Amino acid sequence: MSSEGVAVDFGPPMEVMIDAGLAENFARETGVALEGDAAPIAYPAVWLAQPRLRDRIAQICAEADALPVHESQRFAYAAPLRQGVCYRLAVTARREVEPSRLVLDATLTDPEGAAVGRVETVLRLVSRADLPKKGDA
Amino acid sequence: MNEATALPQVGERLPPLEIGPFDALALARYAEVSGDDNPLHLDDALALSVGFTAPPVHGMKLLAAFEALLKSWRSDLAIASLGGTFVQPVLRGEKATLTGRVLRASEADGVFVRLYAHGPGRAPAIIADATLRPGRPGSEGP
Repeated sequence: MSSEGVAVDFGPPMEVMIDAGLAENFARETGVALEGDAAPIAYPAVWLAQPRLRDRIAQICAEADALPVHESQRFAYAAPLRQGVCYRLAVTARREVEPSRLVLDATLTDPEGAAVGRVETVLRLVSRADLPKKGDA
Repeated sequence: MNEATALPQVGERLPPLEIGPFDALALARYAEVSGDDNPLHLDDALALSVGFTAPPVHGMKLLAAFEALLKSWRSDLAIASLGGTFVQPVLRGEKATLTGRVLRASEADGVFVRLYAHGPGRAPAIIADATLRPGRPGSEGP
């Protein structure tokens, strides 16, 4: 495996939308005050927790006999996120070794295909064998 | 860029924001809202089994709270990016303090802010950064 990692298939792009109620709840739980039809900066975290992506991550972790630990996260936007807009979310991923990581790179485009944002998620894959056991010093 | 918006001075410190402590109910609510129901954040026994004295707060919950810090400081700036590295966990029942400092500010590149979340430990829990641009959220940034 190269230092750049090996591409991992995360399936075709999917359509996503910001749910007004969920945006409000997400904002409340993260202490953010929303204005108008805006969405919290970190709202795309909700999309990354969707079953299709979660199941794929779980599969990769199982194959590695590892637990995913959220190492870093980045959101970058070229345009505002809006409630009620149907976006296209395309996820590419790569598997790295030394250290063992899964890096997800999600790009968000609007209905006209214009770039809206990019979300990078880095998961450190911690081998279950390396986890401290209860009672360890 | 909006010429009417005065850029902050390099070196300016953001007013700190204290968040938490978060109890089990708060972590359960975040898990439900975000979809991140990783049992490590919710299950005492699992957290203990991997060496924590209590379940860690979701890192994303803490990172997302930087938006509140940034907006309370300069609501006239739009957040164009926010990212961070999770260095060490903040555990259930612990408070965290969010701080920030302006490292760069220019009309061309916007305002770059270094951000930290500190729990009770000596090392930061999160080392983060954000880029902001003149214009209220929704006009130029998200």
